[in-house]
Amino acid sequence: MKRSGPLLTLLAGLLLGLFMLSLNATTGEKPTSSYVKPPSTGKPSTKASPSTPPARTSAPPSPSPARTPVPEGVYTGRTDDDSSAVAITVRGDKAIAYVCDGRNIESWLQGSVKDDGSLRLTGKGGASLEGRAKEAKAIRGTARVGSGSYPFTIKKSKKSSGLYRANSTVAGAKIEGGWIVLPDGKQVGILRRDGKPSPAPAIDPETGAVTVDGQQLTARPVTP
Amino acid sequence: MPVDPNAATQSWPAPEPERGPSPVRYLIPALVAAAVAVGLGAYGKVHDPTGTAFNLAGFSSTGAVKSWLATAAFFFALVQLVSALMLYGRLPGPRWSGTLHRWSGRVAFLLAVPVAVHCLYAFGFQSYESRVLWHSLLGCFFFGVFSAKMLLLRWERLPGWLLPIVGGLVFTALTILWLTSALWFFRTFGVTT
Repeated sequence: MKRSGPLLTLLAGLLLGLFMLSLNATTGEKPTSSYVKPPSTGKPSTKASPSTPPARTSAPPSPSPARTPVPEGVYTGRTDDDSSAVAITVRGDKAIAYVCDGRNIESWLQGSVKDDGSLRLTGKGGASLEGRAKEAKAIRGTARVGSGSYPFTIKKSKKSSGLYRANSTVAGAKIEGGWIVLPDGKQVGILRRDGKPSPAPAIDPETGAVTVDGQQLTARPVTP
Repeated sequence: MPVDPNAATQSWPAPEPERGPSPVRYLIPALVAAAVAVGLGAYGKVHDPTGTAFNLAGFSSTGAVKSWLATAAFFFALVQLVSALMLYGRLPGPRWSGTLHRWSGRVAFLLAVPVAVHCLYAFGFQSYESRVLWHSLLGCFFFGVFSAKMLLLRWERLPGWLLPIVGGLVFTALTILWLTSALWFFRTFGVTT
């Protein structure tokens, strides 16, 4: 005789897992939830609904909903004075930005994207960033970090990500790293060891792998 | 057709020799377990981690949600251990300890599934720290060995030692998973909701 209970248990778990997965892939339609799908790069959402759970999987989320005047994605580039790099990730009506000179000036900024296409982000220490979407998928704005003011025009990156962050502990030291991968492949980043900034070692932009003090870490794409 | 005239006469059909279940019974669960574990690991490695996923209302972070779900699953795993000891007569237990074992196991498993989905979807298979490596390995192993246990349960007359061993592996894996994730989370970020 074969019992069917254990098999049903397995199937229930499988269905639940697939249901959660499809929920994950579709929550982007809700404005309040943190959007999870990587910015669509022309690929149709193949992993949105691998099965037929009774989920809201009918329509894959469109990569840039109409209510977002700033196209979703990662914008990267240099400041007008060429001293620093700026990256902004826009997801729904939220944005996160990183301004970094690759030596000792850096700032993470967060905020919202308004319906008229303007961004207003703030960071620690009174840092701020104001920007506005331009045609041709670009953002023009000014970042104020410390005593400096950095006007910039940055373009939407073709790759899925150009902004990475890593947090870890290596040999007892707290490691915080931020990286901007520019369109030409150059990287600008700062690594803090227990808060002390220094130029960051290069990451592998494919995998996010980076070696810090002999230990391998993984930098992750940053999403708001 | 040469026939050995000295061969012992046989009744027809030849009687099944009295032996345990055929090896196929173990092969299928073992293969399924390996497929599940390797499949999860491969998905976690290949899939581009999104870094984030949905959150539940009332919790400050997905880490907190997962930690509490995992803690609940671990609690039911402890119920599993106790009820299994009752089933095997090592502890005095009520008549419904079998039902308790089945349902606490189902609840624990179903609590663990969303956590695993989030892990795989948002983080993937990672190896940048030994804690993380062990968690990734055991996470895949857990669902593999759990599948094996469920499939083995469908057969009666298994060797008496088999289920306790497989069940023990499931319990041990879940315990280490909890230690390397939820306990770590609570120690690092505090016991928050």
